[in-house]
Amino acid sequence: MTRRTVEHATCLGCGCACDDIAVVVDGDRIAEARNSCPLGRAWFADGSVPRETRSSGKTVAPDVALADAAKLLGRAERPLVYLAPDISCETQRAAVAVADRLGALLDSPTAEVAAGILASQRRGRAGATLGEIRQRADLVVFWGVDPADRYPRYASRYAVDPTGLQAPDGRHSRRVVAVDVGPSRGAADADERVAITPEDEVDALAFMRAVVLGRVTGDGTVARAATGLATQMMRARYVALVHDAEPSPHGLLHHPDRAEALIALAQALNGPARCALSSLRAGGNRSGADAVATWQTGFPFAVDFAPGYPCYRPHAGAAVLLGRGEIDVALLVGSPAGVPPAVAAALGQVTTIAIGPRVSAAPFRPKVAIDTGVAGIHEGGIAFRMDDVPLPLRPALSGPSVAADVVRALAARLTKGQS
Amino acid sequence: MSKARLRIAGGAVYDPANGTEGAVRDVCIEDGRIVAELPREAPKLDARGMVVMPGGVDIHSHIAGSSVNHGRRLLPEEHAADPAPAPRLADPDATPRSGTGGTIPSSFTTGYRYAGLGYTTAMEAAVAPLAARHAHCELDDTPIIDAGLFALLGNDDYLLRQIAAGEAARARDYAAWVLSAAGGYAIKIVNPGGVERWKAGGRNVTGLDDAVGTDAVTPRRILETLADAATALELPHPVHIHCNNLGQAGNAATTLETMRALAGRRAHFTHLQFHSYGGERGKSWKSAAKEVIEHVNAHPEVSADVGQVMFGPATTLTADAPVEYLLHASSGKRWVNVDIELETGCGIVPYSYKEQAAVAALQWAIGLELFLLAQDPWRVVLSTDHPNGGSFLSYPELIRLLMDRGYRDERLKQVNQKLVAGSALADGLAREYTLSEIAIVTRAGPARLLGLSDKGHLGVGADADVTIYANDPDRAKMFATPRHVIKGGVVVVEEGQLRRAPTGRRLRVQPGYDRAVTRDLKLWFDGHACVAFENYPAVELGA
Repeated sequence: MTRRTVEHATCLGCGCACDDIAVVVDGDRIAEARNSCPLGRAWFADGSVPRETRSSGKTVAPDVALADAAKLLGRAERPLVYLAPDISCETQRAAVAVADRLGALLDSPTAEVAAGILASQRRGRAGATLGEIRQRADLVVFWGVDPADRYPRYASRYAVDPTGLQAPDGRHSRRVVAVDVGPSRGAADADERVAITPEDEVDALAFMRAVVLGRVTGDGTVARAATGLATQMMRARYVALVHDAEPSPHGLLHHPDRAEALIALAQALNGPARCALSSLRAGGNRSGADAVATWQTGFPFAVDFAPGYPCYRPHAGAAVLLGRGEIDVALLVGSPAGVPPAVAAALGQVTTIAIGPRVSAAPFRPKVAIDTGVAGIHEGGIAFRMDDVPLPLRPALSGPSVAADVVRALAARLTKGQS
Repeated sequence: MSKARLRIAGGAVYDPANGTEGAVRDVCIEDGRIVAELPREAPKLDARGMVVMPGGVDIHSHIAGSSVNHGRRLLPEEHAADPAPAPRLADPDATPRSGTGGTIPSSFTTGYRYAGLGYTTAMEAAVAPLAARHAHCELDDTPIIDAGLFALLGNDDYLLRQIAAGEAARARDYAAWVLSAAGGYAIKIVNPGGVERWKAGGRNVTGLDDAVGTDAVTPRRILETLADAATALELPHPVHIHCNNLGQAGNAATTLETMRALAGRRAHFTHLQFHSYGGERGKSWKSAAKEVIEHVNAHPEVSADVGQVMFGPATTLTADAPVEYLLHASSGKRWVNVDIELETGCGIVPYSYKEQAAVAALQWAIGLELFLLAQDPWRVVLSTDHPNGGSFLSYPELIRLLMDRGYRDERLKQVNQKLVAGSALADGLAREYTLSEIAIVTRAGPARLLGLSDKGHLGVGADADVTIYANDPDRAKMFATPRHVIKGGVVVVEEGQLRRAPTGRRLRVQPGYDRAVTRDLKLWFDGHACVAFENYPAVELGA
């Protein structure tokens, strides 16, 4: 076979969803993912995935696996449908339909960023798509995050380096401030660094907001730092305040009020200046799970269909119900690797049906496992960038089965079973 | 019941596009279309004593896409308060879906509720082309209704550059390309130039001749360029305009100036109520409905939808982000702002119109004045700018206000009188809409303004979208609960119950353009955009 290249492919290695990847295919393997960062290269890898269909540990025909899955789900008393990463919006839509049909609890890794979502439901938010930050920002504040670690091309594609309408000289048109919150360091390439302890973080944000609203000025170390930073932000034309919405890589728990304090500060800065809060999200179309759940049910995650309609249970989602032993059967759709550790461990304790990339190799040993391709590598469709911009997926390889088709086939069996 | 044939027998038919005003006659359907006659043995639906109209057509509503979904995410308490279990559909293979309501229902519930209201077509009125793919996904999950989307233009960087350079032809080709790429139906202009200025530095434009970045670009030039483009491209619907200065006291002057600026050109002015305020900014409010509607009455090239405010909960949701900033700043309510790269903005503030609030009462009165003083119902049609002025579920109540003067006068007495005193409505407007006029403002008129020649009427060849109402003297009740609704020949509502939920069609245009524009666009994308030119179109573009 000859080499061929798929241009303008979208990488779901992180939430940046860079759509300028040239995927070079040699035979049935990916030889190269040009323009991608180390994270992207690891995500594409050589594109090989297992192609198993298993039930109770044995290799079976797809029809048998689907029939077994339908039987298990049909008998479930308290089913869970979990939208893991690496599936397209089309697959997510089909999986939410299954949850609706089953009266299941629906959840996804969006629960990992619940604090931010709940805060935005109380307050709203001041945001922008990433491209607008590129066009406008003259001050970029990296709040306890260096995007180089988990969002490697964020700085080169969006917030810092590229030129924009109001940043004609790219990096030179912008001032970059790194706020180091304990071990969570801001961007390395900064014009100024400010250090805050994790204990002082929420107080500092609240103080900055008070300064912006013209209510206080302060003495003391934290107050001085906060006043200086807040003043700088007020004097800017357009501030991008960048933070990582995902759980800390250092295992630190964010203060429960941090997300709301960030939103409140960003909102208050609109008035004296313009400001967008940029909330970094991980890849695999995680943002799609939250968008799809929202439009189909009205709620972004932790949706319980048990009463016969969607109910919001942000404090009784998958992790909690699995932990309490309330779930008897789980349908996981997506990559097991992207499932938060607590949920993944609990899935080993219940009957699990798994449909998605590499599910046959899942550590929690699903009762039924149907391997599919990875959305964006083997499957097309739509995925959302971290800022909710929808992008097309351009598969370079063909996969074992298409996840959306498998989930729809399962749904059809469930419908037939009930009529 | 078969899709193939149906005789709706013996109803009083209101089909104003074909001059039928309550005549008792049969309406025959075959294969999803209206036909002249059917064999005697064809299935019959007994409509004796009932009122038969074409399916409703909503010319302006916010039901799908990224901004709508930002709004949905913001309203968990509304959704929790309004659960919507899955309907019991007749087809055992169908997959009925549960959902939630409130001012921004979930997608499936949106489709079911529109159909339950007798509406079979709705236009999503504001989609950033960058996010059109998302809007199409949601519309795919919005059953029954046929739907189209309006593509937001007028604050987009590429267009403003062409205007600055005097490249009218290229601006037109670009408008055609972007409309095709978005899978859109019409060009929507929101606060031309004002959203760009908000993103550039937190300010808005105040009038038609403010500079937007450069003196060569003004709201006036943007409006002229896009109105001319829509005409040259022979789009079925003219430019759909949300004027500058929405919601500001005294903004009627801007609205009238905009109409005069486009004199002689076809243009549709949306949610006119929000643009018909007299008084002075920061000082006083009064109705300017009379001045505005008199201009509309005298200019046949102008059309409008009213954007009536209804008392109760609403969610204000618009690409006019600077307006939402002001609403947030003055109300202190929850606020979402999303600046959308190189194109537009998005602002959201949940809101409630209270009878006892002076400005809300004035807004309510102004909407009614526009309706009651409009001389040509074909050109001034019904909307609440759902969910901005209220939910589409409030249309039946609005219809009662229009048809029943006694009821209207009673309601008027209950509202805050401070600002409505001295308005035309308070002076007494005797007009009562007839059923035929209601049929015009809710279906025949919007369909004609949209250029949907197969909709809004019951002539031979039209889409078999039909709504059958019990002729209840309580018009709110009558229009809230149609007895039967037929969509594309399928009986979706039967005896008041939703029984079938077929997939709706997408309405879109594909205007021609000089392909040379795509070479320039590709260069511009490479230099400025964060999405590849090749990945931008939401739908396949023809070669």
